[in-house]
Amino acid sequence: MSADALCDLDLTGVADAIHAGKASSLEVTEAYLRRIERHDGVLKAYITVLADRALAQARVADDELRRGARRGPLHGVPLALKDLIAIAGVRMTAGSRVLAHHVPARDADVIERLHAAGAIILGKLSMHEFAFGRPVVDGTFPTGRNPWDVAREPAGSSSGSGVAVAAGLCAGALGSDTGGSIRGPAARCGIVGLKPTYGLVSRRGVVPLSWSLDHVGPMTRTVRDTAALLQAVAGRDPGDPSTRDARVGDYTAQLESGVSGIKLGLPRRFYLDSPGLHADVKSAALAAFDELRRQGATIEDVDAPTLDLAGAIWVTMLSEVYELHRETVRDQPLNFGEGIRTRIYMGALVTAADFQRGQRLRARLRREIMALFEDVDALVFPGHASPAQRFEDIPMGQIVVPGSRYTNVWNLLGLPAVVVPCGFSRDGLPVAIQIVGRPFDEATVLRIARAYERATDWHTKRPNPETWKLAK
Amino acid sequence: MSPDELRARFDAELSAAGLNLAGRDYELLFAMWTEHRPQREALRAAVPMPDEEPDA
Repeated sequence: MSADALCDLDLTGVADAIHAGKASSLEVTEAYLRRIERHDGVLKAYITVLADRALAQARVADDELRRGARRGPLHGVPLALKDLIAIAGVRMTAGSRVLAHHVPARDADVIERLHAAGAIILGKLSMHEFAFGRPVVDGTFPTGRNPWDVAREPAGSSSGSGVAVAAGLCAGALGSDTGGSIRGPAARCGIVGLKPTYGLVSRRGVVPLSWSLDHVGPMTRTVRDTAALLQAVAGRDPGDPSTRDARVGDYTAQLESGVSGIKLGLPRRFYLDSPGLHADVKSAALAAFDELRRQGATIEDVDAPTLDLAGAIWVTMLSEVYELHRETVRDQPLNFGEGIRTRIYMGALVTAADFQRGQRLRARLRREIMALFEDVDALVFPGHASPAQRFEDIPMGQIVVPGSRYTNVWNLLGLPAVVVPCGFSRDGLPVAIQIVGRPFDEATVLRIARAYERATDWHTKRPNPETWKLAK
Repeated sequence: MSPDELRARFDAELSAAGLNLAGRDYELLFAMWTEHRPQREALRAAVPMPDEEPDA
């Protein structure tokens, strides 16, 4: 199998090839490293490539396989991580000059789990500064470029994760999601991205942004890959109290069970009738919902009036971000990029009363949404408001990114939410639908996503490497 | 609220928050604060019932 053919496989394909002896972990790792070397000068998915370390890990994985010891489904599979997840002894920047020389002493919980599962770590991926900055095309930590059109951004903040997976620069990645930072890049790069239930995946060793909204989750080419990666990283961790009630499911057992008899709710007024929804996203999503109906699901319109206040409740994030960075932005303001610095200052203008009002309304929103789940198994709606934008079209001074309503609601409520590709815009850019479920019911969310995925071929489409060139 | 009143209100909030900004940071934050005002007003107008407590 050629190196490029290996990199075109999905995570499960890579794992199967290694398991079946069609390729060694070393061959696969070398293939990714060559592809990174060839293309990342343009794509900018990686901040740090751990070539020597990855090759050494791959040799160990191959030795273990030769001895008949397979650690698990990720054995020998090269993955990559958003550069806010700690690997002991490896620089972790969070995309900021503030942490440009920071080297953590201990692995994050998810790294310990990935090592235990046998995964190879290729490197650390680019991201918006502290997961809250703006896309930048130059500077110390430039944003990755969308492999479907390198003149466009891949969304953020897990931008490098989206780019690397879509471009075949790793078999799968972990990102983090505080208001859509897994699902936005997944939607705009044409891959699958899951924000798990709050508290299912530990954030120990992950640079925080907003403690009550932060989630870590998988970004992969297929739903099955996401299920496999989630299975590896989910679980309780005494180092992250949010995981104390984690209920880990079996994310692959029901994956092929289809959606016959599944009841879906569509928040039509808030999501489909939103004036910010791009026509191409809307038409692709409507076609996807028709496909789910053909597969046997029923879809009914649902609504929750407090959805309209989600943007107002977002003071939660502003306040938590400011509390986190208050001293640092005061002591070294110029080490922050302009985009994030101003956004951090916004949190200083949130009063304690506003924050508490936000928490009371957040609880009301939760009650309304949980009431919907008494009648439906999951919610479906477009995954993102619009396809990828050109870098120069992204405004500088916005506190809330347009279209964030499609994602940030589900951080406020901590519910599992997956985006899955559902086609392309007229400009050839990926678009997606999103599926949201009950707490810790990732199995159902992924089952629905898989039922749609297997009826379509969007997940088999790959961006063309020949287009990964910058205009002179 | 007139532009001058808006600016005075912003300055008062900056002062109350202990922020001392000038130049581009000041103007960017003012633009962001102005853009965010409708959300904040919506938050303040949405008065919960007394028994609507935040989640634990």
